[in-house]
Amino acid sequence: MELNSIKDAFDRVTKKQKLSFSKSQEVIEQIGREIEQAFLRLQSEQDSASPSAHKLILNELKTKLKDIAPLSHLEGTQKELNVGLSKYPKLLEKSFNPDISKAYRNIDFDLHTVNQIIASHFYREGQFDIGDCFINESQELEAAASKSPFLEMFQILEAMKCRNLEPALGWAARNHDQLNQNGSDIELKLHRLQFVEILQNRGRDEALKYARAFLAPFATKHMAVFQKLMACLLWAGRLDSSPYAELLSSIHWDKLSAELAQQFCNLMGQSYESPLSVTIAAGVQGLPTLLKLMNVMTGKKQEWQTMKQLPVPVDLDKEFQFHSIFVCPVSRDQVSEENPPMLLTCGHVLCKQSITKLSKNNSTRRFKCPYCPAEVEAGQCAQLYF
Amino acid sequence: MSSSPMEVDSQLANGSSVVAAAPATAPPSKSGKLAESLKLEHQLLRVPFEHYKKTIRSNHRAVEKEISAVISGVSAAADSELSRDEAVDQLSSLVSRLQGLKRKSEDGSRTEHLQAQKCRARLEHLESAELENMSEWNNTRMKRILVDYMLRMSYYDTAVKLAESSNIQDLVDIDVFLEAKKVIDALQTKEIGPALAWCADNKSRLKKSKSKFEFQLRLQEFIELVRGDNNMRAISYARKHLAPWGATHMKELQRVMATLAFRSNTDYSFYKVLFEEKQWDILADQFKQEFCKLYGMTLQPLLNIYLQAGLSALKTPFCYEDDCTKEDPLSQEAFRKLAQPLPYSKQHHSKLVCYITKELMDTENPPLVLPNGYVYSTKALEDMAKQNNGEITCPRTGFVCDYTEVLKAYIS
Repeated sequence: MELNSIKDAFDRVTKKQKLSFSKSQEVIEQIGREIEQAFLRLQSEQDSASPSAHKLILNELKTKLKDIAPLSHLEGTQKELNVGLSKYPKLLEKSFNPDISKAYRNIDFDLHTVNQIIASHFYREGQFDIGDCFINESQELEAAASKSPFLEMFQILEAMKCRNLEPALGWAARNHDQLNQNGSDIELKLHRLQFVEILQNRGRDEALKYARAFLAPFATKHMAVFQKLMACLLWAGRLDSSPYAELLSSIHWDKLSAELAQQFCNLMGQSYESPLSVTIAAGVQGLPTLLKLMNVMTGKKQEWQTMKQLPVPVDLDKEFQFHSIFVCPVSRDQVSEENPPMLLTCGHVLCKQSITKLSKNNSTRRFKCPYCPAEVEAGQCAQLYF
Repeated sequence: MSSSPMEVDSQLANGSSVVAAAPATAPPSKSGKLAESLKLEHQLLRVPFEHYKKTIRSNHRAVEKEISAVISGVSAAADSELSRDEAVDQLSSLVSRLQGLKRKSEDGSRTEHLQAQKCRARLEHLESAELENMSEWNNTRMKRILVDYMLRMSYYDTAVKLAESSNIQDLVDIDVFLEAKKVIDALQTKEIGPALAWCADNKSRLKKSKSKFEFQLRLQEFIELVRGDNNMRAISYARKHLAPWGATHMKELQRVMATLAFRSNTDYSFYKVLFEEKQWDILADQFKQEFCKLYGMTLQPLLNIYLQAGLSALKTPFCYEDDCTKEDPLSQEAFRKLAQPLPYSKQHHSKLVCYITKELMDTENPPLVLPNGYVYSTKALEDMAKQNNGEITCPRTGFVCDYTEVLKAYIS
């Protein structure tokens, strides 16, 4: 972001602040010097001197200080500083959106719901200390329920970081059926990794034993993988110079950790990404559009508070697109069960109502596709399911 | 390179669709979007600057006050009949007072310097946001937003812990909120002093924004006197502290004055509420609002603002269906509950998501139609065909067909 003008403005303020500071130091020193001089004169003055002599010194000091007029000295630099201090916030207001709450609807979020969302966000990010601290402080004790499953997940992942697959294998074995149902082959991938690990560290015999016990059950379904792993046994001790060297790459560990986290969340019925992070990120993308909308809607604030649908589309990146939306290019209507999307024989897609209109409600009457020269019949259009 | 007939087709389709539809404005580029999102960060720069400004002003006031005190000390000495020794003592005390001032102003300047550094750190943080490091930057933003939430809800320990663990102390306003904490803690124990002191500190700015917070504090103090049956003290308190507000807030003034007659055990609800415990909570909330206004913060936590905008942008009727994908935050009950009073998003353009890969079906990954009308992405069906010798099985209906039987659909 282009911040140079703002940075310059800020530098001007700090410069003025330094100037103002050194000026006030100067003034303080000057006053100090004058007083000290008077002080020395008073001290060196002989007792015999006339009693009014010290009074004279004090009076001289008083006039001198009056002449220095220290406060008016400070005024000048202070005024310049004040100008900078009041200008800078104005520049910020101009360069940024000064009030991002303009598009905020005055509804109160349920505090407990928000706090529960936050607590499980901390846990799923592996920030268990902070999550505990938060639950304690906010007194949302029931939110702690979301902790233990994530704790297990992070223990598995931590162990994997130290190349310990036992917890992961245990988890995969416990959830064998469900993983199978989801079509995941993560269990095999874990065993494969463990097999290579054993082959590297404990030798051929151990690896063979392991393969018999744990890999054999997968052999029928994943013959190619199984055969490849068995071939590795020939290269025991020098796997790194074998055609299978890539099996040693640490990428497998990273990839498998990510896949495990994904499967783990999936089995819990949770998303892989924190839903709070996703929503906030969508909010950051959507808010500029909403704020622009509010600028046009001034005077219709009431309407905004009760609106059932946003009046303008909010353009989000594709990672936020979770559902198929089909908008008929002719009628601009979003399709629904009553008005489904239909495929024309030329390959273009319109909503049912548009086709009815174009064909004048006659299923055998040919009409021209609005998007290509093809002539089609309504009766030959087929409903689509996205 | 010659273009395949498929590409020509899609170009044709796209070309004519532009004619048919109202020409859409080009979607903002990635970097344009980034710039837009950075413009939301007003508070990030504003708050530390207000803090800096406040420190500068109060340091300067202290210096001015001390200097004029020293000068009038000299005048007083000159005007009175002091002995020489007394005069020596007087001057030496003024000298040490000046030395003290010098030290104090040096300390003050150091604080100012630290605060200026904080302002600068935030400018640099904003400047560091680039498309290449977006995920890390967004991560930090998430944490900043959470710390802001913690501070506003008075969950200070969590705020401090979170800021420290991710090393973002310079990017959050814990120090600013500690000032508020003193006042809020006091209000929670029904102590009004720190709040009044805060009002006095910020008198001119509160006056400028026509705040009546001080008046509300005074009213509460008056109510407490009535509750304690200190009627005479209550009346003299009202003369001194409430009367000046009469011109602008007569109705409220009259209402509390009437409590002298109704007393704290009244059943008349109009007056009864004034004696309720929750009045103190209301004062604490009021204070938070005044405090945020003074520092140029939004009145709601940032989290709530972004959450609301995000929920609206994501909300579609499909989110509430049973087969809603788990990756959609709105598949979760808690998020559905929050989104319930918010508007649905609006779509002007088709966006198709492949049921199998969850990826967007666009010109690079166009939608293909099975003979049964079900639509999947090219990528998904290609992969399936490769693995199964060209055979496609519809995952939703079990329908089986050959890859050669699928048709391309043109979505405009």
